[in-house]
Amino acid sequence: MLATLEFIETRDTPEVLFDKKNNQFKIAGNSLPEDSTKFYYPILDWIQEYVKDPNKSTHLICNMEYFNSSSAKMIYQIFIELEKIKDTGKDIKISWYYESEDKLIEEKGLEYQSILDIPFEMIKTK
Amino acid sequence: MNIDTTFWFFDRIKEDNLCLLYNGDFSDEITNKLIELSEYNITNNIETLSKMKKKASFLMAECFQNIVRHGESIDGKANASANEGFFLTKNWQDTYYITSGNLIENNKIEDLERQLKKVNSLDRDELKILYRKVLENDMISDKGGAGLGLIEMARKSGQKLEYVFNDYDDKFALFYNQIVLKSNFEEKSSKEDNLFEINEAINYHKEMIAKDILVIHKGDFSQDAIFPVLKIIEENLQKEKKDAVSKKKIFHILVELLQNISKHCHMEGNKKEGIFLIGRSDNYFTINTGNLIKNKDVKGLEKQLNYISNLNGKELKELYLSKLRERNIPNNEGAGIGLIDIARRLISPLNYSIQKLDDEKSFLSFNVIA
Repeated sequence: MLATLEFIETRDTPEVLFDKKNNQFKIAGNSLPEDSTKFYYPILDWIQEYVKDPNKSTHLICNMEYFNSSSAKMIYQIFIELEKIKDTGKDIKISWYYESEDKLIEEKGLEYQSILDIPFEMIKTK
Repeated sequence: MNIDTTFWFFDRIKEDNLCLLYNGDFSDEITNKLIELSEYNITNNIETLSKMKKKASFLMAECFQNIVRHGESIDGKANASANEGFFLTKNWQDTYYITSGNLIENNKIEDLERQLKKVNSLDRDELKILYRKVLENDMISDKGGAGLGLIEMARKSGQKLEYVFNDYDDKFALFYNQIVLKSNFEEKSSKEDNLFEINEAINYHKEMIAKDILVIHKGDFSQDAIFPVLKIIEENLQKEKKDAVSKKKIFHILVELLQNISKHCHMEGNKKEGIFLIGRSDNYFTINTGNLIKNKDVKGLEKQLNYISNLNGKELKELYLSKLRERNIPNNEGAGIGLIDIARRLISPLNYSIQKLDDEKSFLSFNVIA
């Protein structure tokens, strides 16, 4: 079984949990590293392994507070990797949380929703 | 402020390893971040100065306390920026300058000046004696004594305190004081060592008030240096009671512009150097940045920037989405997705200028209003 990938939130990187065993997938917090590839490549590697044999149903929770544009690209890479699950016949869904006051995060979510080809739900929190 | 403001300041402080100017509110949160930012620059850039770190931080804290304790806030005054404080920290070669400014009631000038003269008339040993005397007798603001803060500033810096009182209005004056800190404490100061005069700092402050500039920072723009800057701005946005939408937008623009400098600036030595200014204009914030670029990169960059600045909102969104989908490494994309995303959020097109400085490099500046 693929080992769980877990990062604690730091000043400039988000909390990340990719846990195949317990079927939990989450990314949350701030993401503004200067070099976003260094942070996101291990996550992309993990997902590339995961999509070869995904769980019956995968649900990724995104609860971002802020992310910079280079993180925006890497987050998109995560989504299009996960999109491959669709071809295996299994379920993939993304939930994008945003606060009603937070137009930036809402807009970013809507943009992803518009260019992705998997269920992508927008969830207003408060 | 307009786009030319950036170079006006840059040209005057370009030899500095660090120059941080602040004209605004002095809460604990903000002063802590100002100290953190200065400390970061001391530790990382100037080896010979790192041993001064503790001393410099102490003196900065002392200045801030003076501003907070003595700075007068006048209710109902239209010109809010002058009611707050001014702070400058600057490192040039092996010398550190700390300048602060605040309003003081005219009728308190005499007493303060007397204290300053007293402190400046004493040598090191005499200062030590006075310090102990004040501590023991608790005569902090007593006639004939001098404030502990002033004594400490003179003792720690080993230099005379420079000060100026400038007229403000019928009731108030602007009080400035400057501390000069040298990496070699014992070294006798020669005239040319002390090139930066307190009056020059006062000129900067005047310029900041006139143009409603909150922060100017010239120095390192690596990630650790960016964070305290962001916190200082966040605190100020909080105070301005901006709505959540604008706060986030300004934060985003700042992150992108500052990281842009860090990624693309022409390095002098191993420092990622640039200048950044933030000010107010009507109900908006103006953010200016400037950094050096190589002349050979100018043509390509100019083409990209010209292209971006001529697109409308819808076109910018489409360009942003197509950049998002491009499978390349984000750090190698030149003036890319970050600037496009910024341009989408401005109230006017992305304003930039490129100015040739010599055969090798040019000065690139941005001026954005959001």
